[in-house]
Amino acid sequence: MSIDAPVVTPTAATLRARAAVAQARAFAEADERALDGLVSVRPRSAVPRPQPVWDDAEVLVHEPVGERYRRLVLASNTIAATAQAGQFLMITVPPHGGDTILLPRPMAIHRRRPATTDHPGTVELIYGVVGRGTRALAAVPVGGTLQVTGPLGRGFGFPPGTRSALLIGRGVGVCGVMGAAEDAAAAGIRTTMVLSGQHPDQLLGRSDCAELGVQVIGATDDDGSSDLTFLATRLRGHFDGTTPERTPPGVIMVCGAGVLARLAAELGAHWGVPVQASLEAHMACGLGYCHGCAAPVRTDPSVEGPLVCADGPVFDAAIPVV
Amino acid sequence: MVALLDGTAHPDARAAFFAAASDDLAATALSAVDMSVRIGSLTLNAPVMPASGCFGPDLGALIPVGELGATVTKTVFGSARGGNPVHRLTEVPAGMVNSVGIPSHGPAGYLATLHPRYAALDAPTIISVGGHRIGEYAPVVAALGEHGAAYELNVSCPNLDRDGTDIGSDPAAIREVVAAVRLVTGKPLIVKLPVLVASIAACALAAEEAGADAVCVANSIPAMPLDAQTRRPILGNVIGGLSGPSIKPIVLRLVWLASRAVQIPVIACGGIETVDDALDYFSVGASAVQVGTASFGRPFAAVEIVRGLRRRSLDAGVGSIRELLDLDAPR
Ligand SMILES: Cc1cc2nc3c(=O)[nH]c(=O)nc-3n(C[C@H](O)[C@H](O)[C@H](O)COP(=O)(O)OP(=O)(O)OC[C@H]3O[C@@H](n4cnc5c(N)ncnc54)[C@H](O)[C@@H]3O)c2cc1C
Ligand SMILES: Cc1cc2nc3c(=O)[nH]c(=O)nc-3n(C[C@H](O)[C@H](O)[C@H](O)COP(=O)(O)O)c2cc1C
Ligand code: FES
Repeated sequence: MSIDAPVVTPTAATLRARAAVAQARAFAEADERALDGLVSVRPRSAVPRPQPVWDDAEVLVHEPVGERYRRLVLASNTIAATAQAGQFLMITVPPHGGDTILLPRPMAIHRRRPATTDHPGTVELIYGVVGRGTRALAAVPVGGTLQVTGPLGRGFGFPPGTRSALLIGRGVGVCGVMGAAEDAAAAGIRTTMVLSGQHPDQLLGRSDCAELGVQVIGATDDDGSSDLTFLATRLRGHFDGTTPERTPPGVIMVCGAGVLARLAAELGAHWGVPVQASLEAHMACGLGYCHGCAAPVRTDPSVEGPLVCADGPVFDAAIPVV
Repeated sequence: MVALLDGTAHPDARAAFFAAASDDLAATALSAVDMSVRIGSLTLNAPVMPASGCFGPDLGALIPVGELGATVTKTVFGSARGGNPVHRLTEVPAGMVNSVGIPSHGPAGYLATLHPRYAALDAPTIISVGGHRIGEYAPVVAALGEHGAAYELNVSCPNLDRDGTDIGSDPAAIREVVAAVRLVTGKPLIVKLPVLVASIAACALAAEEAGADAVCVANSIPAMPLDAQTRRPILGNVIGGLSGPSIKPIVLRLVWLASRAVQIPVIACGGIETVDDALDYFSVGASAVQVGTASFGRPFAAVEIVRGLRRRSLDAGVGSIRELLDLDAPR
């Protein structure tokens, strides 16, 4: 058989599959370019970063969330007590079914619950099973332990005097910004969060937002409400300044896609407010020494660009002034 | 319910690991196990150190670095370099592939920013030095002066003077590099060799004859990972270096060949995760080991190997690793 020269007419299913692949590829390419020139390392915060530790954390909860995700609650007093909003952990995945995973996997700290007199301090993560590492992670039983290193990275920080905030998360990116919602709730900052995803039943974070008193704006691919132009128009309308509740937010924090970071930066420029974006990169050490996690942005080839684990994962995002 | 709350004095596993160090060192003080190894004029207290690029001073707070024989820096080049485009690393079965591209701030940048943090650690600093021309190594070592307790020459770099073949795959080029560096420093010199060479024995011998105090075998192995779905290269640089457990049998052979060729110590590096991996390399002639990839998932891996070697020697009632290996020798 020749590998070129198809002789059969493609079926409708084949055409749909091809269109989906092309769409995914176009999105990935747009997403890759979206961050160029947009992000910069945040100025050092006055609040010092906590010293990372490693711990053998007991798995207290490990359960499915919807069809695609899993919730993991880990007991670690030190990490729960010190983690800042937007920081992450490196999780060492134990061997599973003859497969050994070498590199730890970075995961955002979705929720922090410090120790009480009768409960250990816990951190909650939500992850999607996407490849070998997360598949092996999904097999870890409740009652087992996971070796984790953290808290890592530079997280979100509310500018002094912030009274309201807009948070935007897509897919598991919601976990990247939920820590900021926790801080906002504690500080009495009025918060709105966009939860974006493919299907309505896949939107993470609804119950967390309800618990934290965060107003939710759902956006899904299914009904087109996650479309960037549509979402931008909707958010501008939502914060049109006509009533005190509709005053534009004092800060925007975003995680989950480069194109959303760009959208946030455009809104930030429109309202004249700062934007912070959490980014992802393949990682090995999580501590800043392996230089594996270059931020996905084009930089001058003779100088090293920012590292996501040590300079981020949260960066300032602003539309470059031409 | 949770071990952490069982009234232990340690808030987390890291703290417990540090605390275990003092118990362990107390035990050694009672019954001496000599684990020291000499690299030229430098004596290392333990034959275990990190591999270049797989350690940073940030680890000083996570592991008791003082239990290691030395630290090894990421390779320092003569001029500032930016590193490769994303992605810079990925995992493959039994290994990882990296194409970090060795970003470097040059010797002045290294001395200003990183070195003070290395110097504050409780182990000698071996500075890794690289170059893309034979003449590039000596000026970097000269600029670093007395700051390195020893220098590791990373010769797994494409030689821009000779069609980009690795400097370290050409015994004549190794000889020139080592001889030039020998002129500018009296510090111990380690030559870190690549895997893809016609004769590792000839490369190791060239290093020894030109004045090296040890060879390190070996660097990562050129490889190309593809995305399973798109069948496109995962790495921004397309190709990278394979490291981790899958390279251990390949490097074991090279260490065996190199140790038969030279008198100077051979430092083994390739897929070492456990005490038994280290003992395998010692049994084919290595005098010391470096731990790379394993440290990412288990930052304490190298310290565990040191403790394990001491514990095995104590349990067997022997005073050195050589004696420990003799016990295993076939009768
Ligand atoms: C700071 C940070 C926070 C994150 N938080 C979350 C979270 O809260 N929930 C969640 O589901 N995922 C999160 N991720 C992504 C998560 O780390 C990856 O989905 C995971 O590493 C995939 O591993 P795998 O072996 O299953 O996939 P594979 O595709 O088989 O992985 C192959 C290699 O590529 C790396 N890799 C693949 N995709 C990613 C990615 N998107 N980001 C980083 N490395 C990747 C893997 O670590 C591994 O080394 C986060 C990533 C970062 C950098
Ligand atoms: C992320 C990464 C970065 C590395 N950087 C360097 C480097 O800068 N210089 C060098 O000589 N070797 C470098 N190496 C190679 C290692 O030092 C080591 O030779 C190799 O990884 C094999 O050992 P391992 O299997 O224990 O990892 C690097 C390896 C990795 C994985
Ligand atoms: S993951 Fe190692 S430097 Fe960021």
